[in-house]
Amino acid sequence: MHPNDAAITDYIDGTLDVRERAEIDRHLESCAACRRLVEDFREIKGVARSLDLREPPVRSWTRLERAIKLEERPSVARRSPAWLQPRQLAWLAAAAALVLSTVVGLKFMSNGARRAAPAANTAAQSAAADAASANASAQSVEAELRQAEDHYEKAIKGLEQIANAEQDVFDPKTAATLQKNLAVIDQAISESRAALRAEPASEPAQESLLESFKAKMGLLQDTVALINEMRKGNDAGAARIVSGIKQKGD
Amino acid sequence: MRAEAADADIVARTQAGDTDAFEVLYRRHAARIYTLACRMAGSADDGEDLLQEIFLQVYRKLGSFKGDAALGTWVYRLALNHCLDYVRSRRAKMNKLTETLDTDTSFEPHAPRETPIARMDLERAIERLPEGCREAFVLHDVEGFDHKEVAGLLDIAEGTSKSQVFKARAKLRGWLKK
Repeated sequence: MHPNDAAITDYIDGTLDVRERAEIDRHLESCAACRRLVEDFREIKGVARSLDLREPPVRSWTRLERAIKLEERPSVARRSPAWLQPRQLAWLAAAAALVLSTVVGLKFMSNGARRAAPAANTAAQSAAADAASANASAQSVEAELRQAEDHYEKAIKGLEQIANAEQDVFDPKTAATLQKNLAVIDQAISESRAALRAEPASEPAQESLLESFKAKMGLLQDTVALINEMRKGNDAGAARIVSGIKQKGD
Repeated sequence: MRAEAADADIVARTQAGDTDAFEVLYRRHAARIYTLACRMAGSADDGEDLLQEIFLQVYRKLGSFKGDAALGTWVYRLALNHCLDYVRSRRAKMNKLTETLDTDTSFEPHAPRETPIARMDLERAIERLPEGCREAFVLHDVEGFDHKEVAGLLDIAEGTSKSQVFKARAKLRGWLKK
């Protein structure tokens, strides 16, 4: 008889007592299938313990820094670093607010999409209600998509204004990389919109449009973060962001 | 500077409003926390949101760091608790208990592919694991907690932790060794 799941797990984890371990050892000598199972599980466990760490996206620190600056912490004696002049503070705050509104829009859209699915299932139980309910769900999703799109467009517009106003800080090569990546994303937005016009209820097209907006938001956030690092004189931070932008564009 | 003194310096400077000091703390620990968050949540997008929330909490709660453990350990514990809260909350929303998820435990041993498992493949496969067994696997096989600890963290029985880890390994084997 093969050992049960718990016994195999304990055997691999080395938590069996001597007698139990010897029993499984004996079984493995005569059962090739269990022997392979144990070998594979050991390999999985070994590889799992040696997995690499994942580097967070470059924009993560900038997002966090903005959020921290928006925190009201009267107990903390704030100091204004030399690099953070009132003008920078204003656009950092604006960017954070815009990003926040976009996130709200996106979450709203996600919830809406989840709500739409059970609504469609319920409608299937009643032939008479089916068409009306499905139509209402589709309209609801479309309305929420439009709302999310509005949020994205506002956020993107705000970030574009910031990026355009400050773009003189970029060297020609970096500016060209940014423009190239933006052009690719704008093309994707344009294609997604065309697909949605042809088929407004298409979920892949809706997802593609939102993903494209998200990509554009991400690139513009990276651009603002890059401006920030360059103004701080943080060459290493700027290089990290440029490297991340290039990778995304490849 | 000794590690304890360096931690104390970062905490003091951050509490005095020095964002650069907090950035040092972030850069030192972000990869480990982001990795944990991505694996527990099963997606890089959710992992990024969790990373943001966790470090905001770190920033807010830094005053409660007493130096009993290393700052990195304190940050990790806070991150782990936040990830567990996220997992519990998502599970509650889905109205599914860990034990009821993916009840297919049937397992057919088969001839394994001889190629060693690539770390990148395993990383991707972990994201595909069903909720419940993914968290148990990540905590046990990746993070190194024993089953008693995993059971406590996930609020499940120790036997459930073992069966979830078995299930995860079996699924990964099916995907990676076929």
